[in-house]
Amino acid sequence: MEKILSAEDVVVKFTLRGETLTAIRGVSLDLHRGESLAIVGESGSGKSVFTKTFMGMLDPNGWVDSGRILYKGHDLARYKTERQWLGIRGREIAMVFQDPMTSLNPLKTVGHQILETVELHRSVRRAEARRLSMDILRDVGISDPEKRYNQYPHEFSGGMRQRVVIAVAIACNPNVLICDEPTTALDVTIQAQILQLLHSLQEKYGLTIVYITHDLGVVANVADRVAVMYAGDVIECGLCEEIFYNPQHPYTWALLSSLPQLGVKGEPLFAIRGTPPNLHSEIKGDAFAPRNPYALEIDFIRRPPCFQVSPTHRARTWLLDPRAPRVTPPAPIARSRKLWMEKKMEKMKEQDRDAR
Amino acid sequence: MFAYTIKRLLQSLVTLAVLATAVFLMMRLMPEEGYFGEGFDRLDQVQIEAALTQMGLRDPLPTQLCRYLSNLLRGDLGRSIVFRPQVPISEIIAPKIPYSVYFGLASIAISLIIGLPMGVMMARFKGRTPDLLGSGYVVLVKAVAPAVCYIFLQLYLSSWLRIPMLFNVRRPLSWILPVLCMSLGNVANYAMWMRRYMVDELNRDYIRFARAKGMSNSKIMTRHVLRNAFVPMAQLLPTSILLTISGSIYVESLFSIPGMGGLLVNAIQRQDNTLVQALVLIFSCVGILGLFLGDVFMAMVDPRIKLDKRSGAR
Repeated sequence: MEKILSAEDVVVKFTLRGETLTAIRGVSLDLHRGESLAIVGESGSGKSVFTKTFMGMLDPNGWVDSGRILYKGHDLARYKTERQWLGIRGREIAMVFQDPMTSLNPLKTVGHQILETVELHRSVRRAEARRLSMDILRDVGISDPEKRYNQYPHEFSGGMRQRVVIAVAIACNPNVLICDEPTTALDVTIQAQILQLLHSLQEKYGLTIVYITHDLGVVANVADRVAVMYAGDVIECGLCEEIFYNPQHPYTWALLSSLPQLGVKGEPLFAIRGTPPNLHSEIKGDAFAPRNPYALEIDFIRRPPCFQVSPTHRARTWLLDPRAPRVTPPAPIARSRKLWMEKKMEKMKEQDRDAR
Repeated sequence: MFAYTIKRLLQSLVTLAVLATAVFLMMRLMPEEGYFGEGFDRLDQVQIEAALTQMGLRDPLPTQLCRYLSNLLRGDLGRSIVFRPQVPISEIIAPKIPYSVYFGLASIAISLIIGLPMGVMMARFKGRTPDLLGSGYVVLVKAVAPAVCYIFLQLYLSSWLRIPMLFNVRRPLSWILPVLCMSLGNVANYAMWMRRYMVDELNRDYIRFARAKGMSNSKIMTRHVLRNAFVPMAQLLPTSILLTISGSIYVESLFSIPGMGGLLVNAIQRQDNTLVQALVLIFSCVGILGLFLGDVFMAMVDPRIKLDKRSGAR
């Protein structure tokens, strides 16, 4: 598959009250054309910060310290001036933010905000831009666009506003769309509709979508691939089913075990003990080690390398080292892994039979 | 929008009625000496009572209030007692108004031209030199009592620049100092408000979103930030402008400008009860009118207000 964007060993640092802290600790991640990639992780794991580096949207006290972000042959990590970024923002990579209630200018009509974006990126006449805006409004599922076009954001409900926000992002005609928690602020019933909408737009406009979320339900619904982040690092990355059915990193195990659906009825819900590491102090070894019941001695000393589990699946844990002792993952994980293996075997047998 | 304006207008009228009554009642608490001109000392108790009864001041309070309010409705502000005995107050005030208005307009023009861009620059370069210089100016003007500022300006600038210390109709140069003094505070206010509301807007999510869709900073500033920061400004400016135009009490008496503000000081000093009553009422009306206009302008620039049933909730 064609790589559209490729981050290599990206390190992001911030200065905060005179101290320097490392928010992203050498992340490498590829984005393939036309796929949906979900980046999951708890608050503060750096998922938003990481994607902000693609658009030069870091807060003024943050910077990309080292690493490369390759997009269409350009290294975005070297970009400095506003002029350079204006060639990327919206035009190539667009972003949808979490809260639709505050993402729109309350004093301008919805139509104007889309029109403004269309005119920013396409050199078309006013009438043509207006027609395009109207089409986009219809594409994001807003009925009666002629009337809605001249209304203000406060006349829209939350879900409708998120549709408008998506319309503005689409109006840029980008290749990549980054959705930063696109459904977190919405009703559960609306969430599914918005995800559905994003999926249909992805096909129509040929988008590559990056979802940033901490909701594993959203991930399971939309993602082709999943990257799990912890303490500023991608600790596991693979196809959606690989992450859900055959996770390798103890943090991914813990994350999945915390899903109420995977728990056993009558038993207390699983929670990960402890807190994420403090970014002020340097992290030694595996960042998850202090909270990890499966931690090995080496986990506290050296940072694990990335082990390739399958061509599409890699994880950063010493447990995958050939010298590591064999451990049994928590019960729910072991169960789903077993199911998945059986299914896989059956499939292979079927293929065998078909081949014969 | 229309309904909103009517509603605000009615509210203002109610406020005005309450205010007129309050002014009236407060004036009844003033020493009765103020209803007599010179020669009060020579009157005995009987004469005083007779005079007060003749003026209607011994009638029951409700009767007096009704008479006062109905006179007001006919535009009759009463007659001066001490300042220029028996001359209708409207005649005393009329020639004073142009001075206050001219000085006010000159000062407003200067304050807007300097203050607003100053605030914009402070917001644009927040935390850097222009912002620090501007903030220094604002703090200085706001912290030092105006009286001190004005007297320093009057004393030092007049000798350095060799311009007249007091106002003189025939010498245009004598306009400079009073206008400058009146503008000091307004420039600081406008710059402070503008900076504050622009910084407020700059931190909003939709600005981040506008940046993410590839809009340049300068376009964001002019199309989104400036435009939106004008909503609160539209509410604040009318009051400030009207109050400046209606005359600065201190500056006018300091530079002996024959305007409305100076007149109020004079009337209070000489205990002319009816004149004070009329002037206080006029200044209050201007204030209420300013608030009303502010709300209407805000409704014009902010679409959210038109539909909001609980108007003015913002």
